[in-house]
Amino acid sequence: MQPFKPVLLEAVGVPDGNTLASYKSRGGYAPLEQTLAGRQSADVVEMVKSSGLRGRGGAGFSTGLKWTFLPKDHPGPIYLCVNADESEPGTFNNRILMEDDPHQVIEGIILSSFATRASTAYIYLRYEYPTAWHRLQAAIDEAYAAGYLGKNIRGSGFSLDIYLHRGAAAYICGEETGLIESLEGKRAWPRIKPPFPAIEGLFRKPTVVNNIETMACVAQIARRGVDWFKSIGVPADPNNPRDPGSYGPKLYCLSGHVEKPGCYEAPLGITARELIDHFGGGVWRGRRAKAVIPGGISMGLMTESELDTPLDFAGPGRVGCLGLGTAAVVVIDDQTSIVDFLHNSCRFFAHESCGQCTPCREGTSWSLRMLERIKAGKGRLKDLDLLAEIGNTMGMMPGSTICGLADGAAWPIKNAIKKFRGEFEDHIKRTNPSGWMVTDPVPALQIVGAH
Amino acid sequence: MIAPKRILTEEMVARIEALAPRYPNRRALTLPAIHIVNAELRHVPLEAVAEIAGVLGLAPAEVQDTLTFYQFFHQEKPHGKVRAFVCRSVSCALRGGDQLLEQLCHKNGIEPYGTTPDGELTIEPAECLGACDFAPCILANDDLLKNMTPETAEAALRQPRAKAT
Amino acid sequence: MPVVIVDGQEIEIGADERLNCIEAARRAGAEIPHYCWHPGLSVVASCRMCLIETGQRDAASGKITMVPKLVPGCQTPVKDGTVIVTKSDLVTSSRARVEEALLIDHPIDCPICDKAGECLLQDYHFQHGQAERRADLHPFTSRKRDVGPTVTLFVDRCIMCTRCVRFTREVAGTAELMVTSRGAKEEIDVFPGFPLDNKLSGNVVDVCPVGALGDKDFLYQQRVWFLKREANVCGGCSAGCSIYTEHNQDTVYRLKPRENPQVNAWWICDEGRYGWHHLHDPARLVEAGRRRPAERGRPTEYEPVEWADLVVRLRDDLTRAGRLAVAVSPMLTVEEAWMLCAVARSIDPQAYLAVGHLPTTDSDETFPGGFTIRAEKCPNRRGVEAVVALFDPAVHGWSDLLAHVGGGNADAAWITAGYPTSGRGPWIDTETAATFANLSCLVVQDMFDTPLSQLASWRLPAAGFAERAGTWVNVAHRAQAFEQAIRPPAGVWPEGRLFWNMLGRRGLYDPSAVRRQLAESASLAALAGEIPAHGVDLRIHQLA
Repeated sequence: MQPFKPVLLEAVGVPDGNTLASYKSRGGYAPLEQTLAGRQSADVVEMVKSSGLRGRGGAGFSTGLKWTFLPKDHPGPIYLCVNADESEPGTFNNRILMEDDPHQVIEGIILSSFATRASTAYIYLRYEYPTAWHRLQAAIDEAYAAGYLGKNIRGSGFSLDIYLHRGAAAYICGEETGLIESLEGKRAWPRIKPPFPAIEGLFRKPTVVNNIETMACVAQIARRGVDWFKSIGVPADPNNPRDPGSYGPKLYCLSGHVEKPGCYEAPLGITARELIDHFGGGVWRGRRAKAVIPGGISMGLMTESELDTPLDFAGPGRVGCLGLGTAAVVVIDDQTSIVDFLHNSCRFFAHESCGQCTPCREGTSWSLRMLERIKAGKGRLKDLDLLAEIGNTMGMMPGSTICGLADGAAWPIKNAIKKFRGEFEDHIKRTNPSGWMVTDPVPALQIVGAH
Repeated sequence: MIAPKRILTEEMVARIEALAPRYPNRRALTLPAIHIVNAELRHVPLEAVAEIAGVLGLAPAEVQDTLTFYQFFHQEKPHGKVRAFVCRSVSCALRGGDQLLEQLCHKNGIEPYGTTPDGELTIEPAECLGACDFAPCILANDDLLKNMTPETAEAALRQPRAKAT
Repeated sequence: MPVVIVDGQEIEIGADERLNCIEAARRAGAEIPHYCWHPGLSVVASCRMCLIETGQRDAASGKITMVPKLVPGCQTPVKDGTVIVTKSDLVTSSRARVEEALLIDHPIDCPICDKAGECLLQDYHFQHGQAERRADLHPFTSRKRDVGPTVTLFVDRCIMCTRCVRFTREVAGTAELMVTSRGAKEEIDVFPGFPLDNKLSGNVVDVCPVGALGDKDFLYQQRVWFLKREANVCGGCSAGCSIYTEHNQDTVYRLKPRENPQVNAWWICDEGRYGWHHLHDPARLVEAGRRRPAERGRPTEYEPVEWADLVVRLRDDLTRAGRLAVAVSPMLTVEEAWMLCAVARSIDPQAYLAVGHLPTTDSDETFPGGFTIRAEKCPNRRGVEAVVALFDPAVHGWSDLLAHVGGGNADAAWITAGYPTSGRGPWIDTETAATFANLSCLVVQDMFDTPLSQLASWRLPAAGFAERAGTWVNVAHRAQAFEQAIRPPAGVWPEGRLFWNMLGRRGLYDPSAVRRQLAESASLAALAGEIPAHGVDLRIHQLA
């Protein structure tokens, strides 16, 4: 494999790399100064659109295209919400960007706000990142002092304030309208769409929600150019006009049963096997992988034989996973019970379901209870059918829920039962010899502190 | 009934009001206000919720609704001076996170979410702390404790530690 | 006119109408089940019971393109060419799963739950649910939580539709109800010390689709399948909210709002909702009586008089007495008011007619959602004024009457009242009542004893709002007709029946016959013909 010289992670390991001085010494803020001096908002939108940058938060929607959904000639205010709620299990790249190179993020935010004519940017930062909180605030203060934020930035006529807004440990605040509701001071129940945030978002004004890594990409595109960005990654399939390609460098988080867990920057499209073997030192303790999560737990599971799937926006979908998600790869070795994995997943989603819509609220709770029972040796084969049914029917994609948390909850269930059914059946028959065949309802377990 | 004595200090109210220009309405101050109180008191009692509602011009039920959604704020009594979140999501679970939580609770004689009788330590499960590169990990106030075992964690949690931001 | 296709059937909707799929499908006779949607509250689309298949028919080619997934009918507006499918396998199985999900933890309390018989969870289970339970069996909890003076919450029955929370935030503007916690542990609650006690609180019980919210006034009183109901109008204030009186065996058990876009939308206030207990108050006057001459040392007594005899004896007494003054109570219907005036003038052609006492509190109270409780605590001032105006354009009021009688200008008075008891005490005090003390014949027609009825020569029981049929006109000039729901106690003749007989009319009292006569006058022309369910604005016909 070609070694890739980190760009997004260029400040990692650099002493005081998080300071303004360090960032400027690496070329930072010059692109912003040039943009404010001589370009229009529409130019920046066009730059990002042609770069092919797709959102790094999980949905992979074309960033520049999303910006064009904002109404033209709106009197304002327009808001940029930066989604720093990073809570997808396995994911930690935003944390590293915010701790080690906050100015890269901030320059990206200022450029993006200039492009979208946002007057205020709120960084919705998860509670569990206190170091990022301090480093970001310090960087914001430095940026104000240097005249990159506030009124009439560098005499351009463009004004911007960036405020940090702290979350309180709820995963659903990473959903863009859940984030908006939380910022507005309410319970983070995602909104029904339409209207979409670009039309009616934060405080019912036009709003764009973008991920931290996406902001960093914007800064780098402004510095190194569209051609540079497009030279990295997987080009769009010329035979498929609807394929936007997978351009640019990506931060891949690697964790679980590998020798060297960490965040590694590589062009979009490396395979899971390459990531594990070349960056991660291989599966730990000399073991083999049983299953690998491709992009955060919501994306489901790949089997060992599927590890040559390219981790770009299109790859994981081809092997039945939900998508690339956050590109957080988690390795599960062959000595781990798949039942334990699925129990952990169901426990997470039952805890995090916001509870407003029936299929997710009850489906996540019901699936956890079934996994608890299966784990406790009181499972039935019929439970696998029920779990598969829940997996197949709950979600935004079938239309049964308001947001995609349910799809994220469903995919690990679907993939685990489809790809590892044998292991489930063995476990159930072995641990419940007298009851695995029962099809009538059975008594529930006494749940002690389930969530 | 709500106690007549003020829980929110002048300083807390001043810090809440200082944030007001950031938002176009008062309701958006709800979570920041709750955090300000929680950082000082290590819990947000019902009396404080009613006072926050008064400061923001909301009904107490509206503030409590938002607060309880996060399943994050203690309300009945303060949590420990050190609040240790032990991650139990998939990457940490694969490297012993569940056992770490169980053993830490056992060593300290408390149940998960409980506080030691001396008021020093609260141990709670947390979902993915975003530090899977150092699994299993614990967030203790502002400090990320990396690559923990039950032994190293017990020792680390007994270190003096600044209060959480 | 836009055309919507519902299960293959075409229906036309109005060009300016904004309907969602539930409303449109209803026009085609297809009822899309739903819990969380309510036309008076914001759309949240969270219950997911109304999921349907939709599509669009191309106007030019007629080709139908279906949306490839289910969508909530409540949040999907219809336009020309919208295709709605409510009966496919996908829709059917989705509904069955929502029902199943809601029943996983729902306590099967039906035998002890008030809502049985009018419960959407029950109804949809039978219509759309599956026959057998698939989830684990466990003992149910069914906790009670006191959330306020009027409402009890049965916590575990709640299906988290949030209608009640939205009502207190959007319509009442008081925000007492909240959701607590997250996910499957969510519950409805109030903040300690801030109970659900706004004046519209009872409406949350109406909007609750299941038996989670119970009305303390009605709890365990009657099974709903025994109740009959009549379209009625609340007599509590001049808003004239449309209601249903629900009753069994001449006993009222509760009042419910009746939807009326012109008056009260879907709501009524608590004072109106619970303002029926006076009908069954044992202290009610139920016997028509003529006062016996006082005997030394013995208290005043009333000699009971048969209603049929009353018709003649009352007329004789009043005729003998001389100059007559009449208070036409704003509790009377328009028909009764007219007949009373006609009777009075037939006894004394110069009879002084006045609008009776108008009970009033401080001021109108308007809630953020638009609902208004009126300070004027009687239902038919406008109607009575319009009727009195036909006889005497001066339209005297109660204070005019007091001055007239106090000035010695009357020998007899007939005071119709019929005010329900309220926390505000008797409608007339001793001092004011003394104005009538020296009349040779004083007729008082009321529901309860007051200082005035103590002085009466003739003490006649009045009927209550649910015991009469007729028409009232509210503050906004809207005339609403209503039917009689229960019979008055102990053979009491409602005012309408007494006046009809005193006019010498044959047969049973027929309010519509009186209305037809009234409608011959220009100001009341709108009363001609059948009055529609939502009433009719009296001023409309004045423009012609």
